[in-house]
Amino acid sequence: MADTAFRLRVTYGKTGRLRFLSHLEVARACERTIRRAGLEYAVTQGFNKRMKLAFGPALPVGTAGTAEVYDVWLKRFVAPDEVLDILRATTPAGLTPVRAHYVGEREASVAAAMTLADYEVVIGHPDRGPGRLAEALGDVVSSGALEIEHKGARKVYDLAVCLPEGARVREEDGRSVVSLTVRMGAQGSLRPDALVREALLRADMSEQPMSVTRTGLRPEEARA
Amino acid sequence: MSDLWARVEPLLAAVERPARYIDSEFGAVHRTDAAYRVALLYPDTYELGMANQAIAILYDRLNGLEGVAAERAYVPWKDMGDAMRAAGVPLFTLESVTAVSSCDLFGITMPYELTCTNICEALDLAGIAVRAEDRAEGDPIVIGGGPCAFNPEPVADFFDAILVGEGEDAIVEIVEAHRAAKAAGLDRAAVLTSLAAVPGVYVPALYEPADGTVAARPREGSGAPAEVVKRVVADLGSHRAPVCPVVPFMDVIHDRANVEVLRGCTRGCRFCQAGMIYRPVRERTSDDIVRDALEQLRCTGQEELSLTSLSTTDHSEISDVLRRLSAALRGRAVTVSLPSLRLDSFGVDMARLVSEGSRGGLTFAPEAGTQRLRDVINKNITEENLLGTVRVAFGEGWRRLKLYFMIGLPTETDDDVRGIGELVSRVLAIAREVTPPAERGGIRIAVSVSTFVPKAHTPFQWEGQLTLAEVQDRQRLLRETMPRKGVDLHWHDSEISFLEGTLARGGRGLSRVIERVWRAGGGFDAWTEVFALSRWTGAFEAEGIDPVGLASAARAVDAPLPWDHISSGVSKAYLAVERSRALKGVVTPDCSFGDCTACGVCPSLGVDVVLAGESRG
Repeated sequence: MADTAFRLRVTYGKTGRLRFLSHLEVARACERTIRRAGLEYAVTQGFNKRMKLAFGPALPVGTAGTAEVYDVWLKRFVAPDEVLDILRATTPAGLTPVRAHYVGEREASVAAAMTLADYEVVIGHPDRGPGRLAEALGDVVSSGALEIEHKGARKVYDLAVCLPEGARVREEDGRSVVSLTVRMGAQGSLRPDALVREALLRADMSEQPMSVTRTGLRPEEARA
Repeated sequence: MSDLWARVEPLLAAVERPARYIDSEFGAVHRTDAAYRVALLYPDTYELGMANQAIAILYDRLNGLEGVAAERAYVPWKDMGDAMRAAGVPLFTLESVTAVSSCDLFGITMPYELTCTNICEALDLAGIAVRAEDRAEGDPIVIGGGPCAFNPEPVADFFDAILVGEGEDAIVEIVEAHRAAKAAGLDRAAVLTSLAAVPGVYVPALYEPADGTVAARPREGSGAPAEVVKRVVADLGSHRAPVCPVVPFMDVIHDRANVEVLRGCTRGCRFCQAGMIYRPVRERTSDDIVRDALEQLRCTGQEELSLTSLSTTDHSEISDVLRRLSAALRGRAVTVSLPSLRLDSFGVDMARLVSEGSRGGLTFAPEAGTQRLRDVINKNITEENLLGTVRVAFGEGWRRLKLYFMIGLPTETDDDVRGIGELVSRVLAIAREVTPPAERGGIRIAVSVSTFVPKAHTPFQWEGQLTLAEVQDRQRLLRETMPRKGVDLHWHDSEISFLEGTLARGGRGLSRVIERVWRAGGGFDAWTEVFALSRWTGAFEAEGIDPVGLASAARAVDAPLPWDHISSGVSKAYLAVERSRALKGVVTPDCSFGDCTACGVCPSLGVDVVLAGESRG
């Protein structure tokens, strides 16, 4: 259908103060950005007509992202660089688009295709150094499972499934930065800060995560 | 002026809905270089306050002035308020994250009586003395405004000044007067005297309040006017609707583009304060409405547009406006909404124009269940109007209807209360009759029943309000006589209505009650889940004020009222005549459709009814 031929994939950031937005708030803000940009968007059919727009996996309130993704269906072709310029002018700072390209109509949705998420968790001034933290993270991962209580409900994550790659710790500007990759699935996705908190607890370290940032979303086979 | 963000940020991880506190929205105005700063506070949470159009208008207007910055502030929810107190963070404005106490002017709108405890909370959290008399030279001037300014007495002790009426022009004069007074090095008392010289500004400290036998009057030598007359904008077209208001991230109430199509309503419903205090009717031209609506949608990216006013479908060119808007917005998934509809087939025609084929819900306000009582309140509609409208609407495919009623209106009997249920039964019967059998299961009538609260400046300002027990009895009768199938019945919390009644017509002494309630942990009293009447009854008792008498006793028409020194332009004599016509069941026509009814607004304020078209039909 001509109306939906131009499926544009936009990569954007959720940074600074706007990391405190919820997924729905981000979605609404992006939709309004597209409307302000004056782009001719396709509209869903049905009782409540809406802009045709699809988002990648949700980010929790407080978690930042530097490579978040949505697809929007445009009624006509506009060069990606041009779209990017227009969108940047109408976007609140903190949700700035960084990349745009068209994808095929048959390609899987962002939510279905991107099953791996890369994160960075920053911890301030660890008093026992990054080595101790890395060791503790290794201990947690090799224990095989992590039980988390969230809003009164307990949930056990199988870490062999959730963490396809090992966590890495590096030092940067006097802070420890934990990089890890989480596999998202039907059981939900493990919150990386929860894993790091558990490691800090086991290492008897008093610091808490200062910031959590999702730095990438990718399909599983990309690194296979 | 210092940015508090570094101290605010660590608090946000642990509070609900942090988006309330982060600013950064598209359309927020940051004027860090302005020498004169105004904080505009809505005395409730962000998600309620962002819907307030008065704040949006004043924000736009003030930020358009040379050297002036207007910034928003809201009352933090209790979790954030506690966290701020624990961390020593004062109430801050969103845009610059600076202390409200560092602003020159602190404007607080008063949309509803029950936000009064939040006014105390906001002042205290800001580090500003709750009572105006305790404020220091360096504190901002605290100024109120909004509908509750028409009986300002219950909150008068908290304010340095209160603007009565419309703010578009007055706010500029207030800022100019304040800037001039500051430049001249005047002290706080002299600043207040200079503000009292701005028409429409009430400075409570300059008055002896009413005491039950004598009306409020200016203190000797104060130079303040004996009567503070409301401000009114003669021509709405002289101010554009805000083109690019702030676009919230959060799911706020009424989250949409808003264009005010007209101000004032002269239908003359005798219980309605808005219908009296916003007179006369002034319509914007259809060109202005369409221009402002399209520009606001383009600038904000909102997906819904509301054409706001007290009676939008009364606009003399409304069908033209809606036709042009729906043509301009076709295919863009933008919905146009009308607040509530005229109860005739014209209302349905208008709903059809904006529906793009889909059939959502329709909202009407018959207000009373019997013709006798509708005549008493001057709701000039008949049962035939309502039933005919229902026939057309359901015949055209609408399946959901919302009806507003009130109980406790003057002269109401049990028959009138039963009449609501009976009327709803007849509505249902007609809806079913014209709906194909297979679709009848989808018929829903939402019936919302509020409790009448007599308000200042209305023909019913002298009436008593039902007691709590009487309200509860009538609500029971209402439930018993309301059809169940296909009907969702909602009614107002009787305790909240009772308290609203004490505050709506109370005098200066109520400030002490309000402060006492706030000190005992009150706040967010407009939230049913937070409200506790016991806090209030204890405070009334401690202050020796009888709340039942305040709300429920009828007042003599010739006795002074606490708000006699505040004028809406509508004469007290007219209100008294309307009251006696009400008691005789005599209706009064709408002057915007026909002849003048001599309410007094136009001659006393030097304004006139302004229609966009030739006439209303």
